[in-house]
Amino acid sequence: MEMFDCNVCLGLPYAPSVPPDAYIEKAEDLLDRMAFCGINQALVRHIAMEEESPVVGNQLLIREIASFDRLEPSWAILPPQTGELGTPDELVARMKTDGVRALWAFPSKHHYLLTGTTFGGLFEIMIQRRIPLFVSAKERSNGIEGFAMIEALLRDFPKLVLVATDHGCWGEDRLFRPLIERYEHFYIDTSRYELAGGIRDFCDRYGPHRMLFGTGFPEIPMGGAFLTLLHAEISDQAKAAVFGGNLQRLLREVRL
Amino acid sequence: MRNPSALAKEFRKYGKAASCPIIDMHGHFGPYQGIYFPADTAEAMMRIMDRAGVRMIVCSSHTALVDTRRGNPEMAEVVAKYPDRFRAYWALNPNYPDRMKEEIEAYPEQKGFVGFKFLSDYHKVAITDDRYGPALEFAQEHRMMILMHTWGNSPYDGPALIEEVAKRYPEVTILMGHSGYGEWDRAIGVARDYPKVYLELTAAYHANGVIEEMVQGAGSHKMLFGTDMPWFTPHYGIGCVLCAAITDEDRHNILHRNAETLLRLRGVNLEEDDG
Repeated sequence: MEMFDCNVCLGLPYAPSVPPDAYIEKAEDLLDRMAFCGINQALVRHIAMEEESPVVGNQLLIREIASFDRLEPSWAILPPQTGELGTPDELVARMKTDGVRALWAFPSKHHYLLTGTTFGGLFEIMIQRRIPLFVSAKERSNGIEGFAMIEALLRDFPKLVLVATDHGCWGEDRLFRPLIERYEHFYIDTSRYELAGGIRDFCDRYGPHRMLFGTGFPEIPMGGAFLTLLHAEISDQAKAAVFGGNLQRLLREVRL
Repeated sequence: MRNPSALAKEFRKYGKAASCPIIDMHGHFGPYQGIYFPADTAEAMMRIMDRAGVRMIVCSSHTALVDTRRGNPEMAEVVAKYPDRFRAYWALNPNYPDRMKEEIEAYPEQKGFVGFKFLSDYHKVAITDDRYGPALEFAQEHRMMILMHTWGNSPYDGPALIEEVAKRYPEVTILMGHSGYGEWDRAIGVARDYPKVYLELTAAYHANGVIEEMVQGAGSHKMLFGTDMPWFTPHYGIGCVLCAAITDEDRHNILHRNAETLLRLRGVNLEEDDG
């Protein structure tokens, strides 16, 4: 079974929220950590994309993971109006050159509105090219946060492939399940899905195709989400979909 | 998988390990306000416990955290029905001193309870407040165990307050639920310095690197496994313990041995229960 982690970050943060040596700076060390836990592949971002600037972090990530096939790059977006990452067409052209098939939004730190006014042009292109957007459920924009922010986005762009990561462990099913029912291109990751019996219950209701395996490493140890999914009360076929099949399908469908 | 741990290999293959019958020292029971639980009945919890090799769980009823008169008897029924899988904490709410006095007086008659449960952050009464006095005096006199919700920098149950209680009531065994979440160094220091204070891992395990810090700072003999179940699935916490950079001896201490010792002192002999 291919285990493809959709939520992994490289690099050292300004202010570690866990012990500093829990962070991983180099791609080789990340691969070692993945091998230790038995994870084959990862969709990676660099913390500089969020904490420094996508202008720096996007390219830093490409350089850092260039020699490692098992690490798939993802980039961060900025408002096209400031031109820091070029026009949407230029951004997509660079994604094609560097083999990037997924994007992240960090509206809290990057100080922008994650709305159609700001990103309408880019999101229309992402919908046409089926490029997935990853957003942490901890993010905040336009005075709203978490799933309220995500719903506002999906209401305007229901065909956008959107993956919400890091939903809290203190019970968020009542928040995200209505979005799963309404928006067919909406997915959640499993990094904080610690709920007892949660994966089985979710898959019984919605099938296994709306959930992506993620660990949230290095903030969170890889082993928790991994063992939870490995022994979830769902079929092997369903596990294969969540562990890697769903993410591979989403990335395969991207047309750059 | 390159993890050399024999336990990790066994858990990966089977989801459980025969040599590691897990004791969950921080459980709950029944529905609760802010969360949907797919598995909050005793039977559903046991199904999940069986998949992860959880031998026993020690719970307080969610109802008891709000209303002890309704909730503690509810938990007693579960323990009476499944004594080989469930033990319980007798919940107390210091906001209702008369009721608390009654509950303390009733405690010695109860079967299957292994200590008190305090939830100071939610009850909004500091653990050092006089209103906790009668319960702590009783616990000191009877050398009892108390599972205390603890949270970093909380004005109600932060690690500094736990230290005050540990100093004042040295015969009470204090389980620091959530290990003073976020204020790790202080919590580790309290567990290290006070012989009867333990770090309980519910939710704390998902802070990467903290398990290793606890083992280094307080020792694995001062750590206990817990899940808040039906909140969290045991496999999540177990997976975090298995991938931590600690030894299998440490893992055995955390996942069952320390709990077995504490429960044995309170009349729960799991080996006898195994027949």
